[in-house]
Amino acid sequence: MSQSCLPVNAKMSKAKKVLDEARETQNRELDLVDKGISSFEELPGLFNMSYITRLTLSHNKITMISPGIANLLNLEILNLSNNGLRELPVSLSSMPKLRILNVSLNRLDSLPRGFGAFPVLEVLDLSYNNLNENVLPGNFFMIETLRALYLGDNDFEHIPRELGNLKNLQILGLRDNDLLDLPREIGELTRLRELHIQNNRLQVLPPEVGNLDLLGSKSVMKMEENPWVVPIQEQYLLGISHVIEYIKTETYKILYNRHIKSERGPPPPKADKSKKASRVRA
Amino acid sequence: MSSKMEIVQAADMSLAAMHCARCADGFEPNEKIVNSNGELWHTQCFVCAQCFRPFEDGIFYEFEGRKYCERDFHVLFAPCCNKCGEFVIGRVIKAMGASWHPQCFRCQMCAKELADTGFIRNQNRALCHECNAKVKAEITGRYMCHKCHGVIDDAPLRFRGEVYHGYHFNCTSCGVELDSTAREVKSRPGLTANDMNELYCLRCHDKMGIPICGACRRPIEERVVTALGKHWHVEHFVCAKCEKPFLGHRHYEKRGLAYCETHYHQLFGNLCFVCNQVIAGDVFTALNKAWCVHHFACSICDMKMTQKSKFYEYDEKPVCKKCYERFPNELRQRLRKAHEMSMKKNF
Ligand SMILES: [Zn+2]
Ligand SMILES: [Zn+2]
Ligand SMILES: [Zn+2]
Ligand SMILES: [Zn+2]
Ligand SMILES: [Zn+2]
Ligand SMILES: [Zn+2]
Ligand SMILES: [Zn+2]
Ligand SMILES: [Zn+2]
Repeated sequence: MSQSCLPVNAKMSKAKKVLDEARETQNRELDLVDKGISSFEELPGLFNMSYITRLTLSHNKITMISPGIANLLNLEILNLSNNGLRELPVSLSSMPKLRILNVSLNRLDSLPRGFGAFPVLEVLDLSYNNLNENVLPGNFFMIETLRALYLGDNDFEHIPRELGNLKNLQILGLRDNDLLDLPREIGELTRLRELHIQNNRLQVLPPEVGNLDLLGSKSVMKMEENPWVVPIQEQYLLGISHVIEYIKTETYKILYNRHIKSERGPPPPKADKSKKASRVRA
Repeated sequence: MSSKMEIVQAADMSLAAMHCARCADGFEPNEKIVNSNGELWHTQCFVCAQCFRPFEDGIFYEFEGRKYCERDFHVLFAPCCNKCGEFVIGRVIKAMGASWHPQCFRCQMCAKELADTGFIRNQNRALCHECNAKVKAEITGRYMCHKCHGVIDDAPLRFRGEVYHGYHFNCTSCGVELDSTAREVKSRPGLTANDMNELYCLRCHDKMGIPICGACRRPIEERVVTALGKHWHVEHFVCAKCEKPFLGHRHYEKRGLAYCETHYHQLFGNLCFVCNQVIAGDVFTALNKAWCVHHFACSICDMKMTQKSKFYEYDEKPVCKKCYERFPNELRQRLRKAHEMSMKKNF
């Protein structure tokens, strides 16, 4: 890694130089990617640049976001992918123009209370963290403006039925979790056209998934690597459209109801996740 | 058939003459008694003949004088679908020596449902009428002339719904002997019955100036729609996506195809994935999404990309090579494995 060869003050001046330049040109989009930044203190005056609309801080070593970030009243896009974030300040959710928040590839194992208060958030990427249903704040599924929610590579076993509130959701990423079931309310997401549920512990799909438009020319349904019941697996081998047609049938509804009532134990957890970078102690 | 039971109090009836339909013993005063269609039972005797458990919600099924709970009745007596192996509840299709769900009994060539259209048994396969005809034609490989019943070696002449040797007919106008290029013309526009149709050679037909439909290649005698530089039967000018005829409704053209309003917007009314605005200028499309020129960028570092930039797919979003290489090793390994699996499946 090249930046580790630079002395600390050189790293700081690198980030500072970008800030100075941006101030001079009144550039409203700030790129601070891979600058070896570990704290917002290395970015003096940033929070006074309230005119900026995008702040990209990917590939740094930031472990905490200063609550002062909420001063960036015009910020629409905040990208903190691949840092060392362990928590987020609740002040983020009060940012009036924030539409896209990417905190993927971090070390989050909880979200702050009241996190779901974003007024205009459209895309939320929380993939590759250590989140599960027990650490979601109560208002998480109140972000009605969400178009895309990425929760892949986390530790969810269940998704709360309040998911059905996200009426504008078009993309739901749940890949590589420990999901044992999906809520039937997923059928209420009438605008959904991407569903990623590959690599979970799912055996059945709610029949309501058949109501969704997952077969259109712009739709995506990824469901491989799950311990599906035999009839679903058989249809899956023929193609996704066969799965969707099959789960609409009365036969499947009977099978589904029997399955969820039966007291069979859940399928075993998948391979251990201790090697995930979000877990490894820095 | 499922039935319901009723519980009564023994005191309501004269006890002496009554006995349990199962064990034949009498009843205690004030004992709860089950009354089902006039027969009486001890509550502990009114149970499933198979599992000896009481009936859930009092619902049971009777077969040959015995009563069964719903579960056991299905296991023991409901027919099993020969395709999916599940019980058939409701309409049962009995065919090919087995039972089927209506939606499981399908043509073995085209998978069309056969329950309502009927089927033909062909070499132990259930086929729809169309597929059966196709199979028959393939076996013989050739057509048979409807007039002389001889084999037609070259292309057949189609006339009034049958096939013929061309040389049996002459052009209605010039009298020349015809071949397969002859045109069948409805002699009276609007007439559906085709026994008034006439045959013309190609030259005479062209002189008549009858437009040809761009879809079915047959002449158009009724209303002509002109669009996309071609002529169409009204019912053959359809949306390229949903195949519904426009019937005079507005259509939208794109790359030589026509679409209804709904499907044009669905397919081409692109919204940028980042700014969520309708894209006025150039459109970048990839991974089932669209981007405006300003916003097509790596989803991890926001670095701008062009249509030529190489990128990796991650959660159906583009990731630049630099960012992909900075992903944790174990993640890259899993992504590579998933990619290989999907290639294998598509193959
Ligand atoms: Zn029973
Ligand atoms: Zn069946
Ligand atoms: Zn067929
Ligand atoms: Zn002939
Ligand atoms: Zn036509
Ligand atoms: Zn259409
Ligand atoms: Zn855009
Ligand atoms: Zn990148």
